[in-house]
Amino acid sequence: MTTFLNNFPILAIMTLFLGAFLTSLVGRRFAPARNVLVVLSVTLPLAMMLALVKPVLIDGEVITYWMGNWAPEAGWAIGISLEVDALSLFFALIVTVAVFVSALYSFTYMNHDDSLVNYYTLFLMLSGSVLGLVLSGDLFNIFVMIEIMTFTSVALTAFRNQQEGALEGAFKYLAVGSLGSTCVLLGVAMIYSQLHTLNLAQIAALLPEQAENPVLLAAFAFLLVGFGSKAFLFPFHPLAADAHAVAPASISLMISGVLTKCGVYGIIRLCYVLYQNIDLPFVQYLVTGLGTVSMFVCVTMAFNQHNFKRLLAFHSISQVGYVLAAVGLGTALGLTSGLYHAMNHTIFKGLLFLTAGAVQHQTGSLDLDELGGLGKKMPQTCLLFLIGAASISGLPPFNGFASKWMIYQAAFEKGAETGNFFFVAVCLVALITSVLTLASFIKVAQSVFFGQYNEKFGQVREVPLAMRLPMWILAALCVAAGLLPELVQRYLLTPAVNAVFGVANYIDQAMGAGYAAAHGIVETALPELAEIGCWDPVSWLVLLFCFTCAIAIVALLATPNDLSRVPVSSAREDGEALDAKYEPFFSGEESVYSQVGGSDLFWGFKHNWRRYFRLMHDWHSGVVNDYTLWAVVAMATVLAACIILL
Amino acid sequence: MMLVNYIGSFALVVLGIYCMVVKHNMIKTIIGMGLVDYGANLLIVSIGFNAGGTAPIFSIAELDPSSFFVDPVPQALTLTSIVIGACTTAMSLSLVIRMREQYGTLDTRKIRRLNG
Repeated sequence: MTTFLNNFPILAIMTLFLGAFLTSLVGRRFAPARNVLVVLSVTLPLAMMLALVKPVLIDGEVITYWMGNWAPEAGWAIGISLEVDALSLFFALIVTVAVFVSALYSFTYMNHDDSLVNYYTLFLMLSGSVLGLVLSGDLFNIFVMIEIMTFTSVALTAFRNQQEGALEGAFKYLAVGSLGSTCVLLGVAMIYSQLHTLNLAQIAALLPEQAENPVLLAAFAFLLVGFGSKAFLFPFHPLAADAHAVAPASISLMISGVLTKCGVYGIIRLCYVLYQNIDLPFVQYLVTGLGTVSMFVCVTMAFNQHNFKRLLAFHSISQVGYVLAAVGLGTALGLTSGLYHAMNHTIFKGLLFLTAGAVQHQTGSLDLDELGGLGKKMPQTCLLFLIGAASISGLPPFNGFASKWMIYQAAFEKGAETGNFFFVAVCLVALITSVLTLASFIKVAQSVFFGQYNEKFGQVREVPLAMRLPMWILAALCVAAGLLPELVQRYLLTPAVNAVFGVANYIDQAMGAGYAAAHGIVETALPELAEIGCWDPVSWLVLLFCFTCAIAIVALLATPNDLSRVPVSSAREDGEALDAKYEPFFSGEESVYSQVGGSDLFWGFKHNWRRYFRLMHDWHSGVVNDYTLWAVVAMATVLAACIILL
Repeated sequence: MMLVNYIGSFALVVLGIYCMVVKHNMIKTIIGMGLVDYGANLLIVSIGFNAGGTAPIFSIAELDPSSFFVDPVPQALTLTSIVIGACTTAMSLSLVIRMREQYGTLDTRKIRRLNG
């Protein structure tokens, strides 16, 4: 039985690539045939991955597939392999679900664009490459898949090339992204020069014997920076912001939900499985530090933004920072919470990007200063946005709450265990970032869905069902993953974590039993998870009490003012003395419309931090040379640090 | 002997990075990207090279422990990476052509509508 299932990983990848090929072949003539092909090519891989859940996630098997049946010979992996353990399958499930939702959404969302054949071809190639990346058991294949992923996402970013900035964003992404890819290639080459193999399992077996080898340490630095660049970690985050701002929303979902996950997957494989050096304090500081800096810098950058999707992009990187910070802790709880948040990030961030896309589809605008009062016109989109916003800000009972709670707990426990203040600081920064995220989303909700409406958008209607359905799927997943953390943990997270810590089994499954033991990799005891406190009934009672009090206070003190009935333009014509509430919400620059009452709320914060904000604004200059310089500095720093300190 | 190649490959990478960081003309930026790629390619080929080795073409019967040949795997990797490098160049050039039409300039300092 399992022999048949063994073919599913390669079939799933092939379906997507073949779908891409056939779409461009027949789709030019027959639009319905093209749509059927696309649906088939995204549904089949999802079904195949779901079929693998039973053997891999529940029974804990590792599926190895040798291309052309070139099995290892005398302890050397000659052929190219696909190796699917629970970690790979966990990420493959994230990928296939996101691809499925994004494709469903595209059918209606993209109906204003032409040359859709190219869109779907590139889209399926992108999906195939990310699936190939997470399922691959070969380091060089990972590099090739990263390159296909970068190309197709660059092309899709520039897809609406008549739109302002689309080409520019794509070019920056390609130029700096190619530097990241070259880092991966250099790392792969260096590993090959020392170990003469590209198979992940064999590398994992041979590497620890030569842990002091400086070439391998340099390779570690290069691979870390390369995968980090694919996750858009600081200082690669401007690329993500530029790409997201101009890409179609369905592609933003892919970039934030899927591509960044590939970077995270790469870093987990690198630190936990290949080098197995996550126990070293230096690696923990490095990975957690990178994550923490990204999470803080990006959330503050989001405050400056006037473009809906650009703002979401910065939040996206901020959340990936959470994932990395948790993964870098090196504990079982840290990894569990990181994976949980990675999954949740795909769900809620995808939902938010799709609502932004819905707004863009109906109004043609993403400008936060221009939009407003859409809550009445698009009630379902508004509700969906609020679900997404509550999830990303970590409000119960949505999924962001559960995973963020686990991250705080993991960081704090790590700090308490080691007595190291660094990890406590990480926990504090994570909490502050979460508050800032909420603040930022209050601003967005106010500017887009509440506040005054712009007369220009008087005729706006709710998006069609075909676009609402994918959003509702994601919203349902948000609630489900938030309400059932124990089920998620038992069936998805714990198998993945066990697979990561069971390196010996991963090696033996690919290279034959006893290979790991022969190279000194011993089976470690599977880690015990601490009790997760996020569903403690007492805290819920306290929360309920606070909530009731808050509602009571608001209900008693609030004066009724329904601003959404007053159009902006009339408010402006009334007189020169405009209520300070309606002044532009950032930096005092003149803008045509503004309906953010929330500007009062954040004015003090922004004023006190104005030097920091100005500095950050100047740093994100938009010049591709500057971004390259940042990337090179990051590369050089990590390289020097790894060689000196490891 | 391979040391010259290793130094050369990293020199190419560094020159390419220099080009990408310093040059404001987009075409030169792309040349820099190309140089970085070539450096990486040279490194991989050098890794697989064995001085005095023959071409790695054997049938199973001819293969014996005394046969001495260059490592074929890095050559395959280099070919893949050369193709990818060509794609990068082609794609970025096509983007630059369209950008020249839209912005009327090739200066990276002037193409910064997405910033802050």
